[in-house]
Amino acid sequence: MDETLKTAPPEAVAPASIEIDHLDFFYGDHQALFDINLAMPAHKVTALIGPSGCGKSTLLRCLNRMNDLVPVARIGHGQVRIHGTDIYGPNVDPIELRKRVGMVFQKSNPFPKSIYENVIYGLRIQGRTKRSDLDEVVERSLRQAALWDEVKDRLHESGLGLSGGQQQRLCIARAIAVEPEIILMDEPCSALDPIATSKVEELIFELKKLYTIVIVTHNMQQAGRCSDLTAFFYLGKLIEMDRTEKLFTNPAEKQTEDYITGRFG
Amino acid sequence: MQTQANPFQHRQSTVRFLESLASGTIRVGTYLVLLAAACIFLTIGYKGAQTVFTPHWPFVNTEFFTEKPSTLYVFEWEGKKVEMSDDRFRAFKAAHKVEDIPAETYAHSAGGILPCIVGTALLVLGSMTIALVLGVSSAIYLSEYSRDWWLLRLIRLAIMNLAGVPSIVFGLFGFALFVGYFKWNVSLMAGWFTLAFMVLPVVITSAEEALKAVPQGFREGSLALGATQWQTIRTNVLPYAIPGILTSSILGIARVAGETAPILFTAAYVVLDRYPWQVAKWTDFFFQPVQALPYHIYVVSSKIPQNEYTERMQYGTAFVFLALVMLISLGSVILRIRLRHKLKW
Amino acid sequence: MKNPNRFDRKRLRIDHFIKWFFGSNALLAIIVLALITLFLFREGAEFFPQNLQNLRNYRLAGLEYVGLMRDQIEAHTALNRSLQDLRLRQSNALLKAGKTPEQVTAALARFDAFAAAFDSSVDELRGVISELTDAVTEIKDKAKLREDALQQRKFLLTEGKRAEADAVPVAKIDFAAQLAPIKAAFPLYQKTSLVFRGKIETLLLQPPSLPVREFQPRFEQFQKAARAYLTTFPATERKLAEWNQFAPVPWHRAITSFLFGTEWITNSFWQDWYGVLPLLTGSVMVAVIALVLAVPMGVCAAIYVSELASPVEKQLIKPYIEFISAIPSVVIGFFGVAILGEKLRELTQWQALSWISGFPISERLNAFTAGCLLALMAVPTIFSLAEDAINSVPRAFKEASYALGATRLQTVFRVLVPASLSGIVSAVLLGFGRVIGETMVVLLCAGNRIAIPDFTQGVSSLFQPVHTMTGIVAQELGEVPNGTIHYRALFMVGLLLFFLALCINWLAQAVVRRYKISIG
Repeated sequence: MDETLKTAPPEAVAPASIEIDHLDFFYGDHQALFDINLAMPAHKVTALIGPSGCGKSTLLRCLNRMNDLVPVARIGHGQVRIHGTDIYGPNVDPIELRKRVGMVFQKSNPFPKSIYENVIYGLRIQGRTKRSDLDEVVERSLRQAALWDEVKDRLHESGLGLSGGQQQRLCIARAIAVEPEIILMDEPCSALDPIATSKVEELIFELKKLYTIVIVTHNMQQAGRCSDLTAFFYLGKLIEMDRTEKLFTNPAEKQTEDYITGRFG
Repeated sequence: MQTQANPFQHRQSTVRFLESLASGTIRVGTYLVLLAAACIFLTIGYKGAQTVFTPHWPFVNTEFFTEKPSTLYVFEWEGKKVEMSDDRFRAFKAAHKVEDIPAETYAHSAGGILPCIVGTALLVLGSMTIALVLGVSSAIYLSEYSRDWWLLRLIRLAIMNLAGVPSIVFGLFGFALFVGYFKWNVSLMAGWFTLAFMVLPVVITSAEEALKAVPQGFREGSLALGATQWQTIRTNVLPYAIPGILTSSILGIARVAGETAPILFTAAYVVLDRYPWQVAKWTDFFFQPVQALPYHIYVVSSKIPQNEYTERMQYGTAFVFLALVMLISLGSVILRIRLRHKLKW
Repeated sequence: MKNPNRFDRKRLRIDHFIKWFFGSNALLAIIVLALITLFLFREGAEFFPQNLQNLRNYRLAGLEYVGLMRDQIEAHTALNRSLQDLRLRQSNALLKAGKTPEQVTAALARFDAFAAAFDSSVDELRGVISELTDAVTEIKDKAKLREDALQQRKFLLTEGKRAEADAVPVAKIDFAAQLAPIKAAFPLYQKTSLVFRGKIETLLLQPPSLPVREFQPRFEQFQKAARAYLTTFPATERKLAEWNQFAPVPWHRAITSFLFGTEWITNSFWQDWYGVLPLLTGSVMVAVIALVLAVPMGVCAAIYVSELASPVEKQLIKPYIEFISAIPSVVIGFFGVAILGEKLRELTQWQALSWISGFPISERLNAFTAGCLLALMAVPTIFSLAEDAINSVPRAFKEASYALGATRLQTVFRVLVPASLSGIVSAVLLGFGRVIGETMVVLLCAGNRIAIPDFTQGVSSLFQPVHTMTGIVAQELGEVPNGTIHYRALFMVGLLLFFLALCINWLAQAVVRRYKISIG
């Protein structure tokens, strides 16, 4: 099974952006991920699917070391390489890593600041203060996040005043304002209504031209609609990974088929 | 016997009777507490108001708020009882060219309480500044940086135990360390640090609660953008925790202002002939003793007799002090309620 | 790619520094606790050697020797007092029966003659002993002077002033020689005490009969006590004969005499004792009175507010009780001095209450006054913790009980209170900690008499003035010179208080941990 997965999918002619190599992961004594091998190509959308508690969110949080913040979490064995650098290596600053690997959370979490300040927060903490630069970044990010037209007249109002879908797109704008290479999305639409969801999905489709995107989702239609590759996880193990239409139409594993046809999960 | 009676109808029984009896007892017990406290508020309020307020313009007894405490002289003059404070008595004698007038004297019963108010304010300001700096930093470490390990558990244990240490023990400690060992003598500095250490657990606990109330999403969102932990705390945690920290710290202020035992031997003097700002060098400011409201109350209620002449000072001081502390706590309660309405995230 | 590692470590050093800054601040709580322990010890530990020296001097200077005789006199004084009490009761009874004062005096003439003879019987012995007392206190003062000189020398040596230290005169005291005249007075004592004994014996042979029959048993009781008193004479004499001036005083006496000593006497011409027991008893007694009043009220209020009160009441009562906890203790103490003490005394003067022995009370400031006020201070602590405990009981418990048709109070007493018992118990313990550590109220209102209350008097023993550990520190520390044994004794009291508070705290936490109900 290892070998089949290591052979890169046909689309991935471009060099893999993220490579995960025999990764084991633990919360205290509890092992959450078992020997994960995975390569995610650049400028593609990779969807991670699976039932609740299967480890897909954990894997996502491994990619920008957000798990460092959980006291008992630790890597057991294996590597995660981004552009060839082992991100758990001794000389890696997680801060620098997170500047390049952005993240959008399940629950939209705009800061209780103005929309403008929300977007440029990442730049501010990097010490960039030139007003004209910042204005430009705000407009570019909000346009990319398809939010510009809706908020351009109230940039200095609180980000908390936006609707749920707008808040989530604001968070995406905030993430892309620092020009990351990779964006991780942790069930970005789970709290949104169908209309807001479709807007975010359109956005993801647009964004993949510029960024490598990894998205965790519960929703298989969503994975089908907006991802290029899909990986199916079950009980902390990677069961199968393939091109999305292949995985959904002709899965190799029985468990995958059961899951996507709705027999469990 | 009618069989079709409503089976759910109310029935009289011993259980019901006991229930209402017990409810009544519980209610009476509760209201007894409220009544007892009301007794204190009302007595001190009623008698104190007679000293603090006057029936004519400016309706406030200005002498009481602008003068130092002094000795009261009661004597007969032209068939009438006259009461006078020390200075006025001397001036009176000079004006009437009398060497001596037989008079009853009552220490601390005349004049006002300005130096006590100033002293208490200084003590509160200084010690709360120290306690906030130390306590908030400590809370930041506890809530933002630390992981669960033995030292952290030890720190929490220490905080909990520190909260239970009697205030007089803090007084002894401050006396041994600051007054004796550091040779600061009885001074503002010694009082500040003693009170700050005493109120530290309150500040740490409330600051930690305020920090914990900031949603985790704010931190994650910031960290995911590549902010360092300190940047995250500075820009995205502390600003939202500060109202909460300050609100609950007001409780600390009430405690610092209200305690007497820790300043008995570290900061307070019964009588001082100068105001705190009348110092030769500015450094002397920190190393001078002060008068304080609670200590003054202790002195006037235990060291001088109870009678109609001393009563004014006693109730007046108690009233001002009680009103001050109550206003502070009222402020804390109101701010907390407003904060709860304002913060929605 | 220029740099293969694109996520290089930078800036971590500043962040580390900041983290360490906060971390070191967090250690402050531990440091403060350690400093408190350290400095209380530093000032207080010297107490034990000093106290040992104090006890040794008591023996060396012969105070112990003469003390045995003085005890004999004091026992006589106590007997005499009971006799006078009997006289007072009789005359009151006679007056009540309608006799004139002259008639009373006449009726009691024989009794008075007996009492007077009993009183004066001791005079000669007292004269002998008071001379001896003067002699031994003189020796004690010499010893004291010598110790002060030694102390001064030690101090000068630590300052490095050798010459001055050598110049301090330190007298040598030959305790044996000093005490020789006192011991030589033993035959005189024997003789006088024999005469004294004979006098009492003859007196007891013909006791007068009492005009009021009902007091006869009391009088017989007195006679029995007096005879018992006489039988102690040989023992006293034996003790005096066997007494050895140079018998060693074991070191642990310095500690036991502090922890279990029943007397706290300072600045006395005779002997200073630093026994913490009267203060501890006072503290505990006041605290127990306070808790007996505060626990039911605090728990009642917690139950009422969380289960029975209407929403409006709830909105009002909770902040109000929080307000009570904000009343400064010195104001509560002032209220006690100014109002409550007097009101309580007036209350005990009611006819309806006169059947209680010891009523009406004589002291307006006593353990009960302080206890009442402390109860008011403890109620908010107990209330808020108990309310938390009740509120933290899972809703499911409550709903299950209601669903079975239980009434509100049945639910409270059968489900909520048992389930939150550990919380309530720890609330009570913390309340106890707060009360025992409270200073100003007891200092102002407990009456400040250093004595173990006489618990044989029933209810009225609650109304005796007491002194407390917190009160004594607050009262005396400002007046004693640094470094004296008295000063150090006060620090030891503080240390004891500190450890007591830590123990109570620990116990409260242990109760919560041990009996925490697991939810789920």
